[in-house]
Amino acid sequence: MKKSVVVKNVSKKYKLYDTHAERLKDLLLPKSYGEEFYALHNVSFKADKGDIIGLVGVNGSGKSTLSNIIAGTIPPTKGSVKTNGEAAMISVSTGLNGKLSGRENIELKCLMLGFSKRQIRQMEPDIIEFSELEQFIDQPVKSYSSGMKSRLGFAISITVNPDIFIVDEALSVGDKAFAQKCLDKMHEFEQRGKTMFFVSHSLTQMKEFCNKVIWLEFGEIRAEGEASEILKQYEAFLKEYNAFTPKEKKAFRNQGFEKQSAVRAVTE
Amino acid sequence: MNAVLTVAKELWTSIPLINRLAVYETKIKNKSNYLGSFWEIISPLLFIAIYWFAFGYGIRQRSDVDGIPFLTWMLAGIILWFFIQPGVTNGSKAIFSKIKMISKMNFPTSIIPAYVVISRLFPHLALLAITIVYMQFAGHPISIYYLQIPYFLVAAIMLVISVVMITSTLTVIVRDFQVFIQSSIRVFLYLTPILWPMDNRLPDWLIPVMKINPMYYLVEGYRASFFYGEWYFITNASYTLYFWALVFVLFSIGAVLHVRFRRHFVDFL
Repeated sequence: MKKSVVVKNVSKKYKLYDTHAERLKDLLLPKSYGEEFYALHNVSFKADKGDIIGLVGVNGSGKSTLSNIIAGTIPPTKGSVKTNGEAAMISVSTGLNGKLSGRENIELKCLMLGFSKRQIRQMEPDIIEFSELEQFIDQPVKSYSSGMKSRLGFAISITVNPDIFIVDEALSVGDKAFAQKCLDKMHEFEQRGKTMFFVSHSLTQMKEFCNKVIWLEFGEIRAEGEASEILKQYEAFLKEYNAFTPKEKKAFRNQGFEKQSAVRAVTE
Repeated sequence: MNAVLTVAKELWTSIPLINRLAVYETKIKNKSNYLGSFWEIISPLLFIAIYWFAFGYGIRQRSDVDGIPFLTWMLAGIILWFFIQPGVTNGSKAIFSKIKMISKMNFPTSIIPAYVVISRLFPHLALLAITIVYMQFAGHPISIYYLQIPYFLVAAIMLVISVVMITSTLTVIVRDFQVFIQSSIRVFLYLTPILWPMDNRLPDWLIPVMKINPMYYLVEGYRASFFYGEWYFITNASYTLYFWALVFVLFSIGAVLHVRFRRHFVDFL
């Protein structure tokens, strides 16, 4: 079967600068300044067509970075991502311009994606219909609630019909009815053989929906495989983690941070 | 050299997209004002009135510039300034302010500064039309030399796009650069013969120095089209050559910078 997404040894390095001067020096001088931080380190996996992959992990484990890299909005520092088809990402307010109205955002977004004026005019009613924004569609997006924004983002993305779909927390802000509508739509996509990535803290949604799960921890893959199994492990971990005292939690995070900063020393 | 070709090809093949985005940009820019896009014309006309009052009526005591009334003389040049100045300032912050709209990597980012510059073309064309009508009554009716106007307009577009190709990238990397551009571009209003004529008034050695500024070429070109009665780009062939060489160099620098950093624009935000 043809792989739809192949992620190979992807690392994403960010630099943490203490001052502006440090940032400038790093840019201009050959010597490296600032502290390095690996949001992702050496992540590899493959996705088949029709896979629905859940990304789980505690805050700061690299879920959003990974989804951004798959969507192609940010470049990986090392490694490669091969996608078979167009990828689109939905997260709360991705690429929406607050000053513009909902309708203008639809037009602009579709223009940026390379659709012609006529195609956009055809797609617009569908998008507005799906977003359930009705009379709010001509109001500026900055006045929208987060639920409205994610509805608009979701409606645009599904109507432009990408092959690979990344949903980053977008469903957790809408109400149950809309979430259900989106899940139905995604089931339809699943049948059409589209690949989906699903980032959420709602394990119930994941259980119902994903067939594979990747568990990220401190920018690395801690476990991946069948959804039910990994989710069971993850749930067990969460229970344990929640039982930590605040001090232990902090120690856990610090240990992770040190790991993510020190990766370089190990690999180079 | 590769980068130059890449960017040139991207711009060339995206011309329809650039136009559509430019139309869109103009449409939404003045949305929240009651007078809408009219401000794009009202505001330069206000400035023209003020400059005429301060320079023509006040400083020059209503004297002519080589037989041409000051207002007529100034108008022919200043309309170009109202394209170049906002073109450069808006174009410089184009990538920084629009990159978030882009959600996929294979979008040709080089068209972002280009379409922002092109969007400034619509008010310019309106001003140009007003000026042409005005010239009919001011004693400089349509002549064969008007045919130079499209040439100098294209030259102006090329120059501005080349400049913002550099500045839009640098602005993403060092935010201060935008502030620098915004304040330094104003200087050129006085360093170009827009509000005051330079030849015959400056010492001979200074004229070539002022001519290093490529806007000198464009402004004088516009004036030649309206009333000098000469083919400016032919009678000043070596200046034409200098202008295009400069545009090429600026464009190359801009293209190299753009291609070098484009993958990482989002990382700098």
